[in-house]
Amino acid sequence: MPRSSHLWAALKFIAPLALLLLLWELLIRTFGVSPRVFPDVESVARAGFESIQDGSLLRHTGASLWRVAVGTVLAILISIPLGVAMGVSPAVSNFLTPLFRFFSVLAGIAWIPIATLWFGYGFGAITFVIFNAVFFVVTYNTLLGVASIPLPLRHAAASLGASKWTMLTEVLLPGALPNIVTGIRTGLGFAWRGLIAAEMIATNVGLGYMLFLARDFYRTEVIVFGMVVIGILWLLLDRLLLAPLERATIERWGMVRKA
Amino acid sequence: MKRLVLKDLSKTYFDPYAGAHVTAVQEVSLEVKQGEFVSVVGPSGCGKTTLLNMIAGFIPASGGEILLDERAVDGPGPERGVVFQSFALFPWKTVLENVAFGPKIRGLSRTEREKIAREYLDLVGLANVAERYPNELSGGMQQRVGVVRALANNPDVLLMDEPFASVDAQTRMTLQEELTRIWQERRPTIIFITHDVGEAVFLANRVVVLSKGRILKEIEVTLPRPRAWDLLTEDAAFKALSGQVLQLVRSA
Amino acid sequence: MTPLLKAWSLYARWTARYPAVHSIVPFIPLVALWAVVAESNIFPRAFFPGPLEVVRSFGTLVYKGILPDYLEDSIVRLAVGTAAGVALGIPLGVLVGLSPRAHALLWPILLFFQAIGDIAWLPILLIWFGFSLTTMTFVIVYTVLFPVVLNTALGVRSVPLDLHRAALSLGASRTRVIWEVVLPGALPNIMTGLRNGLGYGWRALIAAEIIVGTSGIGFLMFDARRAGSVVEILLGMIVLGVLWYIVDSWVLAPIERATGERWGLVTR
Repeated sequence: MPRSSHLWAALKFIAPLALLLLLWELLIRTFGVSPRVFPDVESVARAGFESIQDGSLLRHTGASLWRVAVGTVLAILISIPLGVAMGVSPAVSNFLTPLFRFFSVLAGIAWIPIATLWFGYGFGAITFVIFNAVFFVVTYNTLLGVASIPLPLRHAAASLGASKWTMLTEVLLPGALPNIVTGIRTGLGFAWRGLIAAEMIATNVGLGYMLFLARDFYRTEVIVFGMVVIGILWLLLDRLLLAPLERATIERWGMVRKA
Repeated sequence: MKRLVLKDLSKTYFDPYAGAHVTAVQEVSLEVKQGEFVSVVGPSGCGKTTLLNMIAGFIPASGGEILLDERAVDGPGPERGVVFQSFALFPWKTVLENVAFGPKIRGLSRTEREKIAREYLDLVGLANVAERYPNELSGGMQQRVGVVRALANNPDVLLMDEPFASVDAQTRMTLQEELTRIWQERRPTIIFITHDVGEAVFLANRVVVLSKGRILKEIEVTLPRPRAWDLLTEDAAFKALSGQVLQLVRSA
Repeated sequence: MTPLLKAWSLYARWTARYPAVHSIVPFIPLVALWAVVAESNIFPRAFFPGPLEVVRSFGTLVYKGILPDYLEDSIVRLAVGTAAGVALGIPLGVLVGLSPRAHALLWPILLFFQAIGDIAWLPILLIWFGFSLTTMTFVIVYTVLFPVVLNTALGVRSVPLDLHRAALSLGASRTRVIWEVVLPGALPNIMTGLRNGLGYGWRALIAAEIIVGTSGIGFLMFDARRAGSVVEILLGMIVLGVLWYIVDSWVLAPIERATGERWGLVTR
């Protein structure tokens, strides 16, 4: 795509949001909404500016992103090899699928109570919640992905003389990649929500905490600013990290994901 | 010179749903010479694919032996190339990378293996799509890639499992003619599994009719080469042979 | 036949006749392992209770009537929220899918609000509605709404143009086309959206019950956490898992399969 059409696409994406901003300001003014119920655009902008100036935005965002990064990376590093190992044998993967399905259904928020009891309030508990949200979903999807590779593909590689290692890197991993990517996307979605929930309950730093603290003082402008930050961060994560990965691999190869 | 020898080859497996042992292949003995083109034909369920899977080493035999140049076969290996009905091209590799995969495993350098791959793609007229991904190709093109991927690995025997069953009728005829041409040029040893009687006779030097896991009959095909559908469709000898094989298959 | 083959044969036939067996049997070794680890007292018992204690607490809570009450509360909240989310989401999705103008206007807004995520709304909802049922329902509706709208729109747009034309040339009116062509065509996607939405929705419910906390399984778990009772937390997790597993694999997945696979439509 040429540069100008990129710009045009971005403009088309932003214009409705700008319209929404206008509508919001208009509604606040015409109905004289109390700032304790909903803030006007200016005070949100001011709250944002202040939080940038005193460094609190950076502190909270940094804490949240650090937890997500540690939990996610750890989970992916463990779950992909584990999922591949279990998926190689059809009998084993068939037997284990219900187990991992059960745990991927439970993954995330439902672990908050026990995580806070095991690890106490703070970094450990929250990172654990993120870890297990990603871990079970990615393991389950990797398992499914490896199991769904057509047998002839594995046979083809074997009859071309592939060693175990070649089979792993050239057949099993790329074959399971569509499911792995889907798994990471779903798992991160659960993890992101789990993060916000856990931060409201179990810490004293982070975006979720920032929102929940502001609630105590009826600072709606801080809450709305925090929500906007959360939305933008997720959009960036999704557009810049996850979507390009999908496009570069799965769509190019014409592979269909199986849920 | 004997290349591939099957001695009393059998396959029984346990069917947990029926709670009983089922026999798929029963005491099949066959000798295939160097450079021979053998078709194995039979109705579905006659055990022909099981037979090929055993020779390829994908499933173990329950009894008997498979000898390639007097050495027992154990598991899949590059000396037996396989062409699959479902093509089995790696969707995440380009056409070139698919064909170069065998040479890559043999440890050839990038330039060497790509040179080999391009040569083989030229053989089937696909040099111009080398950089494409398989899903961007038609079924007929995909199977051409499947055939040369197996050939590029220089196998002693080429095993083909109903390779042209999932392409359209026109393309199938073209592919069959191309295969006989390639065979004449390079004389690989081929075992070709099919349920299509005409195809079996058209391609092979010898047709093996399989029924209920046993060899029913072996028929020599001495039709002249090069073979082309234009010439053979009306050929009396071809019609007689096809008729004979068809009767055997239907009586099975 | 060796005994091993006999056992395998039995297992294969049973799972073929009752698919539930296949989903239950793998849990037996897991529960056994859990019991062994708990009995060996590697971890303090209060931190890591065994399966028997959880079963016992299940009995107690059922007997006291707490568990059935809380379970009912959670299920009713989820059902009401989901129904409202679907009722809003499908028409909106059809609109966004059919009208290019609505799509241009609403798509970025939908994506942005989906990105904010349900749980981030809790603080401001608490200011608006207090610790009430409204707050919880709002969160669930919000959660279910976006996956349903986005997937419905995708589904509507994926209905081949020729199907529209076929229906129109057979004399169908615009509204008939929506009922007879667009909605059935989009159904597999709608089901996928509903399934995703419910997956997120019940997580949001747990979070809301923990934070808003008056009743429900989430509240049960967090109350137990305050009292330091690991047994009841585990019980809550198992109840949630089993409940969701049943809904997902016996209700949602079969519907999705019955529509999408039966018709040979691909859900993407």
